[in-house]
Parts: sequence; C-alpha cells; structure tokens
Amino acid sequence: MMGHLETDMADAVRTAPATVASVRDLKVHFAAKRGVVHAVDGVSFDIRDGETLGLVGETGCGKSVTGRSFLRLLPVPPGILAGGSVTFRPHALCEDCDGAGCDACGCTGRKAVVCPSCRGQGCATCDGTGAETIDLLKIDTETLRKLRGDRVAMIFQDPGKALNPTLTIGQQVAEVFLQHRTDELIELAGLSPETGGALRRFARQDHRFGDGILLSLPPFRGQRRRIQAALDKMVARALAETQVPNPASLMDRYPHELSGGMRQRVMIAQALACNPDLLIADEPTTALDVTVEARILELIRDLQMRRRSSVLYISHDLSLVRRICDRVAVMYAGRVVEIGPTAEVFRNPRHPYTRGLLAAVPTADTPRGGLAAIKGTVPELVDPPAACRFAGRCRHETEACRRFDPTLEPVSETHAVACFIDHPAPEGDQPSFERITE
Amino acid sequence: MVDLPSPTQPGTIDAIAPESARRVRLRRFKELAAKVLSNPATVLGFVIIFAMLFMAIFAPWLVAPNVPDPYQMPRDWAATRMPPGTPGHPLGTTNEGGDVFYGVVWGTRMSLQLSLIVVFSTVVIGSIIGSLAAYFGGKVDEFLMRVVDVFLSIPELIFALAIAAILGPSFGNIMFALIVVFWVKYARIMRARVIQIKGSEYIDAARIIGDSNINIYLRDILPNSFTPVMVQATLDMGNVVLIAATLSFIGLGQAGIAEWGVLVSEGQAGIASGRWWASTFPGLMIFLWALAFNLVGDGLRDALDPRTEGR
Repeated sequence: MMGHLETDMADAVRTAPATVASVRDLKVHFAAKRGVVHAVDGVSFDIRDGETLGLVGETGCGKSVTGRSFLRLLPVPPGILAGGSVTFRPHALCEDCDGAGCDACGCTGRKAVVCPSCRGQGCATCDGTGAETIDLLKIDTETLRKLRGDRVAMIFQDPGKALNPTLTIGQQVAEVFLQHRTDELIELAGLSPETGGALRRFARQDHRFGDGILLSLPPFRGQRRRIQAALDKMVARALAETQVPNPASLMDRYPHELSGGMRQRVMIAQALACNPDLLIADEPTTALDVTVEARILELIRDLQMRRRSSVLYISHDLSLVRRICDRVAVMYAGRVVEIGPTAEVFRNPRHPYTRGLLAAVPTADTPRGGLAAIKGTVPELVDPPAACRFAGRCRHETEACRRFDPTLEPVSETHAVACFIDHPAPEGDQPSFERITE
Repeated sequence: MVDLPSPTQPGTIDAIAPESARRVRLRRFKELAAKVLSNPATVLGFVIIFAMLFMAIFAPWLVAPNVPDPYQMPRDWAATRMPPGTPGHPLGTTNEGGDVFYGVVWGTRMSLQLSLIVVFSTVVIGSIIGSLAAYFGGKVDEFLMRVVDVFLSIPELIFALAIAAILGPSFGNIMFALIVVFWVKYARIMRARVIQIKGSEYIDAARIIGDSNINIYLRDILPNSFTPVMVQATLDMGNVVLIAATLSFIGLGQAGIAEWGVLVSEGQAGIASGRWWASTFPGLMIFLWALAFNLVGDGLRDALDPRTEGR
C-alpha cells in the first residue's frame, strides 16, 4: 500500500489527522435480570498517534469494557454493542526516514496508511481524510482477526491467567508470527516466496490432515526445520526485546515455571511482536509488586518510544497514570467525565469526581487518617435516568444536576469536562467552585 | 523461577539453541512420570497393568490357542472338575472341563479389547458432544444436556442390563450397551471443562493475537480440557470390565467364551461343593484389573492436579 504514492497522495496523508483511534459515542450494554446495564454509555475520545492515553476510574466504571471493545472482545451475549463506533487508522513507519522523523511525516516518523478506496484523495469511507479508516465494531470477523495482535494488541491484568498452561512460552509467542508474519517467516527461512502447499500451511499454522506425514518426508523435512529455526529466531528476538535473560532457554519453559514479572514480559513480547499501532494495556501491572511494576512500565515506555506505538493505558492507579500518560480520561459510571493533558488535569481538575479521586490518593505527605474517601458508591447502571451520574455523591450538586445530563464540553483547547460547574445547565441553579475550595 | 534481569543487561539472542519440541515434550513427560511414580500405590497399579498387558499380548505363547476360535473355552471332557495343580491344568478345570488357566489368560485379552474399545468410543463420542454443547451454548447446549440428563437418570448397571437383555446375550452387545451407558459422563466432564476454559483469560489472549477459532479449540481448549477426561478414562478402564463381568455373570454374556464374568458364573455352581477354584481365579483377575486401573487413575488425578504441585 505504501511506496507507490504519488506526491499529491502523500500530501493528503500528511494532512491526515494524527489520531490512531477515535471512539465515538460508544455504548456497551449488558443484559441482566433486572434490566439493561449501561456499562459504557456514550463514551467518546481520541487516541493520538504515539501518545499514551490513560483511562482511569473506579472498578466497574466501564474502563475495561471500553478497552475490550476495541477488539470486540466482549462476551456476546450478555454484552451488547449498543451503538457508537471505534474507528482505527493503521499507521506505518515513514519509509523516507525509517521512523527517525522527517518533514514528510511531520517529524513523528510515522504516517497513516493511505485509504485503499480513494488512494488518499479523501472519500466517504475515510471521512475525507485520505487515511485508511476502519470501524473496529463493524468489520467482519476475519478482517478483525487479522488486525488483532498485528495492528492492535492487548496486555491483560494477570499474566498468570493469560498464558496457556499447556504450551511453552516459545510456542505461545510463535503463534503471533504464525498468524501474521507468514511471509517474513518463509523469507527468513530462505525459502522462495512462492512456497505454497503444506509448507505454507505449516508457516500459517493451518494444519490439514496428512500435512504432518508429508512434512516429515525428506524434501520437506529440511525445509520445515528451516521454518522452525526461523520461527525460533523471531521468537527469541521478540523475547530479547523485553530484556529477559537468555530468551532461548525461556522459550522452552512453561508459564508456571516463571515469576509474575517474567510472564508479563512474555505477554509484552507477544503483544509488541508485530509492532502494533495501538497497544491496549488493561492494568498490566496490578498483579505485580512495586519494583517489578516499575521495570515493566519502563519497558513498555521504552518499547513504545522505539516503535512509536500508541498506548491506551487502563488503570485505577492515579499516581502511575500521572507518571506515564500524556493525556488522561477519567471515567465514571460508563461516561468520560473529564479528559485532558495529564499535567493539566492533575493540576487543575474540574470535575468534582476527579477532585475526589485525587484527594483519595495517598501521598507520603498525607497525614494519618487524612485520606478523603468519596462518600456513597457507584450508582447501579440499570436503566439510568437522565441526570448527572455523579449526582447523589457530589458535594456540589444542584437541582439541575438531577434533571439534566451534562455532556463533555471544552474548558480549554485541550481540556474537556462534563459538569455544570463550567458549563451552565439549560436551566436551574449552577453549582459553583467556591464551595469546592471552602 | 527465573531471576529478573537488570535493565542494563539485555538478553542475548546469539545463543539460540532451543530444544526441539520433541525434547520439550519428553522433558515434560519425564517430570510427569516422576511425579506419578512417586506414589507407591500408583506404581503397584502400573505393575499389575503391565503384567496384565503382558498376559494379553503373549496369550498365544502362554497357552496354545483353541482352534478355530481362541476366545472359546477349550473343553477337555476327560478332565472335568480337576483341582488346581493337575498336570496340564495349573489352575484346575470347570464342571464342563474348561481349563481355568486358559480362561484367565485369554480372558485378559478379551477384557483389554473390551475396555479399550468401549473407553475409546465413549471418550470420542462424549468429548465431541460435550464440546459442541459448550461451544454453541444456548439451545444446542440445553438440548444435548437434557439428553445427557435422561441417560444419567437411569442407574448405569440397570441401563446396560436392559440394553444387553433386549439385544440378546452376546459379547458385542455388552460392548454396545456399555458404550451407550458410559459416554454421558465424558460429555458432562468435557462440557464443564470447555465452558471453564472458554472463559479463561488465555483464550481471550489467543483471540487478541488473532488466532482462528479452530486453532484456539485445538491448541488452547482441547489440551487443557483433556486432563479430567483422561483420568476418568483410566478409571473407566476398570469400571467397564467390572460391569461387563456383572452382565456376563447374570447370564447376558456369550456362553462358553473365555471371559472372566462368564467363568465366574460357570464356576459358581461348584463353590458349595468345595470346588472354589473355577470362580476364584477369574474373580481375582476382575478384582486386580479394577483395582489396578483405579490406583493408576487416582495417581494420575493427583499428579495432574495443579493444586498438588510441588507436594
């Protein structure tokens, strides 16, 4: 797709918005006995190319469900994708500068892939941007399968549960290459790109009855070995990237033989093996202790810098998000209530919930007993009424908060908040900040 | 546990010398074998099973096969009701002049055939039906599991007895009856396991990296679901022979064949008059067979149970 661009097409791509993914009005519902649970109810945000977006919130606020929607990884039923879109724009390394950053790509080293239907001219499928645009919620399963692990990858919370106990580490990491890198694998094995039949099926992990016998016979036997050796090399390289000691011997181990930190490294190696544009990290360090956590974060950051992937970092740990995220989106009860650059949100939180969250974070200076818990609990999301979701827990609520549903409105160029504090309600009293700073 | 590396010392990829998949599997097998064999009861079970296997395989060399059908008991009408130790009849003879030793040896062969065929077929049928139910869920699951419930609501011995009785006394019919009765267990076990595995995070992880459904089933779900099925299959190797012997004993077996249940049934008439051997030796074989597979099955269950890891 790349490489054959004429200048005007490249121009079109250059001006393409630098977002890797945009979530628009995403709604995920769960059918429960008591009614429909609106787990994610109209969430919108963008993930810009190369940035780390933190998605924070309490347990059950819908942050993991949002992350999983990117890969349509929801149990259906009872989960229902009730509406909205998750558009994804694949990116590629700029071939002019090979990722170093140049004028053609605006110094990010990456360019959006040109829309195949209009060749960069701008058409309806790509919203006139000229960049390939894929709605992850609408594409067919096969297209989605090809994107998973290749362009969009994910790391889970508990690496102990996310690895198959019956396969070795090597076999599991190899799976990514077998699914997405068959051509490279055959090339690395020194075989002709036209190699087909049983050998290609072997390199694609698409076994057919009789292939096993065929591949154990002399002419194919050696070639199969070469593919296997090439595969081992790719796997070892992927593992080495995550700075594990002696990746070759790690490949032959089973998950239960490794520590939690090592398992998470394996997951990261697997997730980043194909240079994804977007990595969804769903609390990847929650199950790890603090020292291991620091190393894993450093590793993700380092790999992200080198490959210029974007990261959606889902976490409930605010201090961690503050350290590693460029921007942060705060979720509450299925909604994004505040979004903005991390520094700004932490310095000047606008939403009472964000303020409450920040006040609840213990720091070394917090006196004993000085933590401020937010009173009340997250409301049940069964058929929620049209009102602010935080009403009832909010110290600043007014009549308007119980009658109208605040939408996300900008307070500055980069910072948006869904609260009547900054935006007057259609009618009724407006809560004021004076009472916050009392 | 592998030590964490320091960030300044990245792993090297020069030293790529991964073991072959076969060697990894061999290592895994050795570990498992060591664990299984650390339990003396299991070792005893294995010893009995190997002795039985030896007997089954080398039956023609141990006792000359009866012509034309080696599975028919040879009749020596000149030597009926002989006690053990009689020349030519080390374990004595029955009322009808059948050599008890012949029955014991060739009966092992029959039992092995019986249990292998029955267990293999039931594992295959049960696994397929259980997997289908778990995979499709909903109405398919509901229907298949209600069928399973119907089968399970009839006591297995009575059910097998009814089927064998309707079809008439023959060894093949007993086998068929056992298959009909036993598959439901595997369907249940398999369904429960597949549903459990399906919900686990590494299945999500496999989907994340773009694995296809068939690959996920073959590489992730099946190997992880198969352990309890394997344990149940081992236990059933013994159970099948027990139930087959029971059916033969109450007269549903094929008269005159070298089968333990038939032999016990044939010999029982003599027990009251002191001719204990005709029933005791085949009975002992049934006991040993069932015992051995139960010991090994229990040992396997303990060894494969991750909760006993490191114990």
